[in-house]
Amino acid sequence: MGRIIEEIYVWRLPVRLYHWINAFSIVALMITGLYIASPVINPPLGEAVWQHNFVMWRYVHYCVAFVFIGNFLYRMYYALLSDDKYAKFAGFRPWSPGWWGKPFREQVESYLFLRQDEPNYVAHNPVAALANFIFIFCGSTFMILTGLAMYAENRPGSFLDAAFGWILPLFGSSYNLHYAHHIVAWVFPFYVIMHLYAVFRHDIVDRTSVTSSIITGYKHKVEDEAAA
Amino acid sequence: MPDKQTYAEVFQSRGLSRRDFLKFCSLTSVSLGLAPSLLPKVVHAMETKPRTPVIWLHGLECTCCTESFIRSSHPIAADVIMNMISLDYDDTLSAAAGHQLEEVRRKIMKEYKGQYILAVEGNVPTKDDGVYCMVGGDSFLNVVKETAADAAAVIAWGACASFGCVQNAKPNPTGAQPIDKIIKDKPIVKVPGCPPIAEVMTGVITHVHTFGKLPELDRMGRPKAFYSTRIHDKCYRRAFYDAGMFVRGFDEESTRKGWCLYKMGCKGPTTYNSCSKIQWNEGTSFPIGSGHPCIGCSEPNFWDNGPFYTRLADVSFLGTDTTADKIGMVAVGAAAAGAAAHAAVTAVKKTQHDKESEK
Repeated sequence: MGRIIEEIYVWRLPVRLYHWINAFSIVALMITGLYIASPVINPPLGEAVWQHNFVMWRYVHYCVAFVFIGNFLYRMYYALLSDDKYAKFAGFRPWSPGWWGKPFREQVESYLFLRQDEPNYVAHNPVAALANFIFIFCGSTFMILTGLAMYAENRPGSFLDAAFGWILPLFGSSYNLHYAHHIVAWVFPFYVIMHLYAVFRHDIVDRTSVTSSIITGYKHKVEDEAAA
Repeated sequence: MPDKQTYAEVFQSRGLSRRDFLKFCSLTSVSLGLAPSLLPKVVHAMETKPRTPVIWLHGLECTCCTESFIRSSHPIAADVIMNMISLDYDDTLSAAAGHQLEEVRRKIMKEYKGQYILAVEGNVPTKDDGVYCMVGGDSFLNVVKETAADAAAVIAWGACASFGCVQNAKPNPTGAQPIDKIIKDKPIVKVPGCPPIAEVMTGVITHVHTFGKLPELDRMGRPKAFYSTRIHDKCYRRAFYDAGMFVRGFDEESTRKGWCLYKMGCKGPTTYNSCSKIQWNEGTSFPIGSGHPCIGCSEPNFWDNGPFYTRLADVSFLGTDTTADKIGMVAVGAAAAGAAAHAAVTAVKKTQHDKESEK
């Protein structure tokens, strides 16, 4: 094993907090969301008026959803207005052809076992950045907008209806809106599996303590074994 | 043809007193949900406005809208047809037929240019020049375009005219299109439902007649008064929904107890209509009241969101019928399998690499 030659403070506290709030909200939203779509628990006994079983699932889903939205906006705010260079998405420039060039290609080749060495990045590598953009940024935005549009359906004529009600006709009908929200939710478990695998693999292959870095904030640079 | 009579004149000619006329006006304004201060306006309209000429066309449809309409109880259909509007052309209800009736339609279009209301029941097949629906020797496509050209406004009756209904469900063999895809330059009121509730239909007509303009519409072009909330929002079984007490099969005790039909595929939570409020057949019942889940008949493409008895629609994906959950689970499974395979290759490569560097 190579010695640790450098400790880098990559994920500052706001980023770590965002990550964990986001992670727990996604898990809670996925579970409550699937339950709302298909309530599997046996119905309670007694008068309906004393029971609030299903309404509680919906309530938790809405509460966590607003935490999720707030957290998402907070992360965007932090990216735009802080001086945290690892949190600014500065290296992510998919609109420029240069970004898709050598570094991206090298990383893809490395993942496809076409090269021996792993390109080293302190924060996200280009492939990870792209995955985060597609699944976390676009996925969350889609879920937030469709979610708020459905939430506004409960309050016709309200501020929420005025702000997000226009989304419903884009999907053709309320049913299609629900359906889209349901199917896109599945990108999150999909992403979580890829994400966890990639993190554990990088930790083992590069030994950069990327797994613990989201708790401690520190990533390690280790001495190259070949050089040792 | 005599000049169109006003409401007050109709009352007079039938020997009814002014008192009766005013009573009627108050009742109408109450049923429209108007403030008492607006009563003089209603009286004024009924006294001075001639009855609105209406041309009612039937296209590719089943006539269930007309069947519903004639069962309206508040106001009764006879009142609407005889007093409020002047239903000059309706091939189902008119006594006249054939050339005689077509003659009337052309006459109204000429005499009341820009003033008459065009009510369309059914939709318009567009494939092969519209030959799949011929009316009076011409394609319905041409008839609609011709009649709409001089209309003041268009009322789209039912799911067919509003959104397409069964005729334009996949694969839509006749190229059937709702009215708003054919007529672009006229104000259109959509009154969806298969059929729409009778009182909703007559309510829309009463509104147009009384105020001389179309009712306030929502984003989908439906009158807000009747389509702003979902069946679910006013469903009398909502308490069971909130409690999580769901019917799980039609032969269960829970069905008899009248629990929520959510798990039986009820589309009430995504369907905008007034069934749970106004109900059907003079407020007798409505589908959920009779123990059947709502099929969402007033929603766009409701035939394609089937089956009726499941929450989650079957979607066509890579040539198979599947659901969102199945697609999602396959994707997640594929991700897990991919990760496992990638891990295995990584391990093999690493072992090889380690051996090589040992040499």
